[in-house]
Amino acid sequence: MSALTLRAVSKRYGTVVACDGVDLDIDPGEIHGLLGENGAGKSTLMRILFGLETRDAGTVLRDGEPVRIAGPQDAAALGLGMVHQHFSLIDPLPVWENVILGDTGRIRRAAAQAEIHAVAQRYGLPIDPLAIVGTLSAGERQRVELIKCLRRDPGVLILDEPTSVLTRAESAELFAVLRRMVRSERRAVVLISHKLAEIAAATDRVTVLRRGRVVFRSATRDTDVAELARQMVGRDVSLGAEAAALGLLPATPEAESEVDQTPAMRLRGLVVRPFLNGVDLDVRPGEITGLYGAEGNGQTVLGDVLSGLIVPDAGIVELSGVPVALKRPGALHRAGLGIVPEDRHRAGVVLDLSVAANLVMKDPVLNRRRLRRTAQGLAEEFGIVAASLDAPLRTLSGGNQQRVVLARELSAHPKVLVVAQPSHGLDVGAAEDLYSRLRSCARDGVAVLLISTEIEEVLGLTDRIAVIASGRIAGEMRTADATAERLGLLVGGVAR
Amino acid sequence: MSLAGDIETVLSSGVRLAAPLAFAACGEYLAERAGTLNISVEAMMLGAAFGAVAVAGLTGSGIAGLLAGVLIGALIGLVHGVLAHGLAVNTFVVGLVLNALVLGLTSYLIATAAPLSRPPERWPLYSLLAIVPLTWWLVGRSRWGLELRAAGENPQAAAMTGIRVNLRRRQALLWCGALSGLGGAYLAVGEVGSFNQNMTAGRGYLVIAAVIFGGWRLARTLVGCALFGLADALRLALPALGVTLNSQLLISAPYLLALLAMLLFASRHNQPQALGRPFPRGGA
Repeated sequence: MSALTLRAVSKRYGTVVACDGVDLDIDPGEIHGLLGENGAGKSTLMRILFGLETRDAGTVLRDGEPVRIAGPQDAAALGLGMVHQHFSLIDPLPVWENVILGDTGRIRRAAAQAEIHAVAQRYGLPIDPLAIVGTLSAGERQRVELIKCLRRDPGVLILDEPTSVLTRAESAELFAVLRRMVRSERRAVVLISHKLAEIAAATDRVTVLRRGRVVFRSATRDTDVAELARQMVGRDVSLGAEAAALGLLPATPEAESEVDQTPAMRLRGLVVRPFLNGVDLDVRPGEITGLYGAEGNGQTVLGDVLSGLIVPDAGIVELSGVPVALKRPGALHRAGLGIVPEDRHRAGVVLDLSVAANLVMKDPVLNRRRLRRTAQGLAEEFGIVAASLDAPLRTLSGGNQQRVVLARELSAHPKVLVVAQPSHGLDVGAAEDLYSRLRSCARDGVAVLLISTEIEEVLGLTDRIAVIASGRIAGEMRTADATAERLGLLVGGVAR
Repeated sequence: MSLAGDIETVLSSGVRLAAPLAFAACGEYLAERAGTLNISVEAMMLGAAFGAVAVAGLTGSGIAGLLAGVLIGALIGLVHGVLAHGLAVNTFVVGLVLNALVLGLTSYLIATAAPLSRPPERWPLYSLLAIVPLTWWLVGRSRWGLELRAAGENPQAAAMTGIRVNLRRRQALLWCGALSGLGGAYLAVGEVGSFNQNMTAGRGYLVIAAVIFGGWRLARTLVGCALFGLADALRLALPALGVTLNSQLLISAPYLLALLAMLLFASRHNQPQALGRPFPRGGA
């Protein structure tokens, strides 16, 4: 009998159908992959399962019994555990308080900590129960989420895009834990993802959703990545940028330009204690330079410096040979730097303003008619899909939000474009589109700096790679000379 | 009078003037940890002061007066909670309206609260010895407090784990109302023995300042209350000690001190991250 069954589950938001008659069977002892692009209905489905949304039609059965799920507590009582895409942890609280949040009854501090130790040991998820969650790395935070779920002994564990902020090693570790759990404890795991390589490598069965419908199901070993890609996107995906996006293989970089041009952006001795310890980096026009490194080695802080959110303790940023007065808000922008920040919700867009307003935010003149014209032009040029330019940006998919940011930044004709973790949360189609835009941007002579933790992305897209480790540039090379092994060593701080 | 005697007078009146602040601060601290920046603490104190004198006068019982104060404070907390969390009206607007409303109402009804004939009763002061540790335990050690803090720091995440954020916030406001009411009632019945128009005179705002000064930690918040209480006592004592200063300037001294203390010592490090941000139903 299936551990969890969905029959004809439907949900619509106004005129948009998020889930359309979805049937799904999750068996105990399997890792079931739920694959789909952003907006395919995966997350809606899971929110329904957790009582965070009410379904319009359909039945949910747990071990064959129809159940009613009115809220997260009901889901927990039914043995459904969920690890959320955007972490549901509370930063200022210590690990152990986060873990017991949602329980009832008296707080038993010592018992809770002992239990965390026990669960951590059993699944190989080392964590300090007293650590403040806000100080942990993405990988550690995910461990906390997992422990929080697992201690309730769920029969079905659902992970929503669990690797989107993890490094490769952390992802591998996560899948090993999941595999052990499924093997030895007969739990059912649902892995929601849009990363094909991950689904292909880690799951037993796979279901593909497209526009709210189940379009394909198969045992994972009877299918392959190309088939899954086709089913997910609904058309053939060619190799090249797309393949890199899918994590299949690194694309070959385009013809090397041997001209050693003067850098468009030069960073010298950037220090932000304790995150950056003297970063030197050149970004040349017409090239895409990759800044690769494991999460938490200073790249986020560097992105904040280049966004003008942090004034560095020391060091200079030169654009076209002229040092920028970093203490002045907007100086970097005026000097010709465009940035697509890592966390677009935090620093890239205003979610509740209209699409048009977000597009022309940096325009100094507020002439409605002209703004509309400009916004319209940008929306067309960048293929932004929106119900209306007046709709709040919140209503757009992640890929379209990212395009809005990119369109706005490029419309100022920057000399340097910095993009940080641009494909986080994007589906294959959107990432593909973004990559080709970055390429054409570089062809037009813009100096592009790509800050990324995805090795395929860096290898597939850049001309030159700098590796950041512990807030320093550990090494730099032409992408043609780079190998995964060499990069790995630099990331680990082994080689120079 | 000797210098030692003077100091003793100032200190003891400082403690008594700090007590109403300390009661209310225990409440405001808890409400703010749950994410409500509750400025209607002024209304709670003033309304309770009025109610306490009126009821104590009617019944002849100080305890009845105090209880009336607690109830009135809690009632104002309930109204604030329903408006701000149930109907998602901006919490500052709610607070300002309540403050103005209570000031107007108590001024209008002032004749019903005649000065008490009995001497002030100071014994409720000692209940602070129980209320302070209780507040500390509730916030820091109880399940309820953990859920409050979660609601104040990250209501979305709290709701994901099944906590009813707005319910917890309303409960926190009730606690705040009850304690602020106790503070106001103590001021009227325990110290002054009568009700005067606008007798709290911004003490509620001093309480908010104390919580900010305390960096959202209980012990430091109470230090803030003591500081402001002492300043108040000094202000009252200075003329008697023969120091003449502009009286308007003197009256504003505690508030100036509050401003200065916040500027110099406050740290936002511990500020609840969702303080003052409403959590819409079903919001994520």
